[in-house]
Amino acid sequence: MSIIEATHLTKYYGKSRGIVDVSFNVEEGEIFGFIGPNGAGKSTTIRLFCSLIYPTGGQAKIFGKDAIKHGPEIRQHIGYLPSEVFYYDRMKVIDLLKYSASFYEKDCTQRLHDLAEIMELELNRRIDDLSYGNKKKVGIVQGLLHQPKVLFLDEPTSGLDPLMQKEFYNLIREENQRGATIFLSSHILSVVQRMCSRVAIIREGSIVDLQDVQTLQRENYKKIRIVAEKIEEKDFDLPGVSNLVKENSILSFFYRGDINQVTAVIGKQNVSDLTIEEPTLEEIFMHYYE
Amino acid sequence: MNIFLRELKANFRSLLIWAGIVALFTISGFAKFTGYYDNPDLIEVLNSFPPAFLAAFNMNAFNLTTVPGFFGVMFTFYSLLLSIAAVMWGSDIISKEERDKTVEFSLTLPIRRSRIITAKVLAALINCIALLLFTWGISLLNVAKYSPDGDFYTFLSLGMLSLFFMQVIFLAIGVFLGCAMKRYKQANSIAVSILLGTYFLSILSGLQEDLEFLKYATPFKYFDPALLLRESSLDWSFVALSLGIIAVFIAGSYITYTRRDLYI
Repeated sequence: MSIIEATHLTKYYGKSRGIVDVSFNVEEGEIFGFIGPNGAGKSTTIRLFCSLIYPTGGQAKIFGKDAIKHGPEIRQHIGYLPSEVFYYDRMKVIDLLKYSASFYEKDCTQRLHDLAEIMELELNRRIDDLSYGNKKKVGIVQGLLHQPKVLFLDEPTSGLDPLMQKEFYNLIREENQRGATIFLSSHILSVVQRMCSRVAIIREGSIVDLQDVQTLQRENYKKIRIVAEKIEEKDFDLPGVSNLVKENSILSFFYRGDINQVTAVIGKQNVSDLTIEEPTLEEIFMHYYE
Repeated sequence: MNIFLRELKANFRSLLIWAGIVALFTISGFAKFTGYYDNPDLIEVLNSFPPAFLAAFNMNAFNLTTVPGFFGVMFTFYSLLLSIAAVMWGSDIISKEERDKTVEFSLTLPIRRSRIITAKVLAALINCIALLLFTWGISLLNVAKYSPDGDFYTFLSLGMLSLFFMQVIFLAIGVFLGCAMKRYKQANSIAVSILLGTYFLSILSGLQEDLEFLKYATPFKYFDPALLLRESSLDWSFVALSLGIIAVFIAGSYITYTRRDLYI
């Protein structure tokens, strides 16, 4: 059953574009990736589902119910972690979390303390004394304390140190195994690749592609840079090579296809340095622009 | 209920500050009054002031050397102070969530926007009532030593009732602006501008007889302290008008806020 559904969802802020004709379904228990550069409409989409803003056209549905009409009822079972968290500055962390918990039907006390322990959150500090990363931790605990069935994560790990990021993703996987459906928006490709089963790519307000992650990876460009003496451009005249540039003894290009074919060619060279990188998101998007 | 309690707590400091302003104003006002009380020279001094000045502070209708007369002038200042507090609380209590960017938290909780408005407006109303009771109490304390007669106490009670209506009118206007305006930064300043605008209208309508119709446009004229003192009763048509204004703005608040995009 589809837990999250967008059908021709459109949002304009006055005349400026939010998202245009966005449609997708997220199935129960899925971790769905939503990826795109800043300003593409990721947050707009999530905010429509949280009924913070209202659609200009189309429909957003969660649990098969209209996200606007049944907003409060749906939000009992939604957890939302915005990209930047803001809370009432003068409250203590514990008071804020208890305040948040008081709106949910179930008793969240135990879960609240468990989560705070996992995220190493100091409960007795005031919100305005917290660093950006610590505020984010409050956001994580607040978003998860009622054990929601659906989680909307908007750039969830910005501001967290790598160790906490790992903790966080473990937590999200556990939530997922418990049965939660997860909608993960990010501009970091590797995160989405690691976590998600399917991914939608959004660019300038429209979905340009929706694939499962394995396909995306297979179709992905690699950015290859080779430093070798007597390297010739014509040696790399393979299918899948593009943007080939040679500068003295440095050859760089994008490659898409079976990686073995290109490593075989590289193997014949007298290589002094080699980098094979994930292309940046922008570089991937160039593919969707062609 | 939890929103209501949180708002009371969050606004308590602001309430204390306003109570402090009222206290300061009352004490310094009555300190001056000890010089005016039963002092015939004062009347001569006042007669030498330009009438527009006296009208601005509602001093032409009262005999400043008596307790009710002096309180009549104080009433004008109280009405300004309490209305400003009310309009600022009103415009702030909804729009501050957008200003402080807490909407993504508070409005994704499983609760209807209409219930948020109700809880917040009630909290602001409690603040208004608390400030009014404080004003009433401190007035009683300050007039006690002049042992005014029973008529004065009727006048005082009616005055406080009038202040309450004015508070609620401006609270409703403030709430409406906070709910309706997406540009939350302006809600506060527009609310105060409207208040001061209507205050100047009230002065204008008092100055010129052909501008008298303006009294319908300014809540400061709905409850004329001179009339309260003379007739010992409120003008019920203006009470009805006040209730109408409050109902319209509150209804408008619910309608606009539940239908608009939040500014994030």
